[in-house]
Amino acid sequence: MVELSELEHDALVEIFNIGVGQAAAAMSGIVGEEVTMSVPSITFLSRMEAAQLLEDAHRRSGIGSGRDAGERICGVSQHYEGAFQTEAILMFPEDKSLEIVRLMVGESVPLAELSEMEQEAMSEIGNIILNSCVGTLANIFQHELHGSLPVYQVGSSDEILDATGSRAETVVMMLHIDFILEKHQIHGYVAFILDVTALHDLKDQIDRYLARAMGQQ
Amino acid sequence: MPNPIVLIVDDSRVSRLVTRQHIIARHADWTVVEAGTGEEALAKAPELQPQLVLLDVNMPGMGGVAAAEQMRKLLPTAHISLLTANVQEATRKRAHDLGIGFMEKPVTEERIARLIAPLEG
Repeated sequence: MVELSELEHDALVEIFNIGVGQAAAAMSGIVGEEVTMSVPSITFLSRMEAAQLLEDAHRRSGIGSGRDAGERICGVSQHYEGAFQTEAILMFPEDKSLEIVRLMVGESVPLAELSEMEQEAMSEIGNIILNSCVGTLANIFQHELHGSLPVYQVGSSDEILDATGSRAETVVMMLHIDFILEKHQIHGYVAFILDVTALHDLKDQIDRYLARAMGQQ
Repeated sequence: MPNPIVLIVDDSRVSRLVTRQHIIARHADWTVVEAGTGEEALAKAPELQPQLVLLDVNMPGMGGVAAAEQMRKLLPTAHISLLTANVQEATRKRAHDLGIGFMEKPVTEERIARLIAPLEG
């Protein structure tokens, strides 16, 4: 397990916070309305626990809307390499994805065509939001991050995390961010999964950033 | 002068659709042509002779930056710009080094207005 000092932890949250701000602006540009994002919370846990955490968060956001607890999630993931390696995943409730695509393309596109392009449109939304966030991190770390093309997946939170290829016992850093489109009652999540090696690389980047910030480099 | 021709290069159909919508909303008489890859765009460009080429960066195949580099040679006088979610400084610098524009995604009315402004005279 990688131990972060209080200062490192604080820097990590702040850096992701800036990235998330950029992603919120991107999301707002897509849907044409204000998007509220929570301050990221960072937890270190196993991949199985990560799936459980997502499931619980998902269930909480479904309270009062009459949705089933076991409903499926639509996930878009991208693999990044460079300053550190991570799987970044954007997740929405599956039943909201068509609504989001509608907000993106406007009212003029017929429903049949909209359904046909749903998967492709969600991939592009994931691409824009994840790149906005990761790109900001790369700029702060002054180190490029290369991203794969987005992969779209529908399933339970466990299945979505399985698709990223991380093993069940792997320790992961879950960076959990809620974002809310108030007018449409949509909650989504962004999660970054890093294994132990990637966490060490990330810690290095944070330390360099802190040294620069304090004028030591 | 004939009406401008715009070439949109993006693997995302929905991004092409939204970009096209914003252009046509302002100029219904312009010709807007789409390509899903850099390779397809380079094949279409010589005959099409677009005045404006908008390229996504992360695409299957050669990608937008390599396509833009070749596009610049094929179309020395055209306006060429990246239109991408890749907001990293490294990507902006590549655009700058190639002498082409850079615009962040998501595609919005205001961003498209800025991209097509040079063609509006």
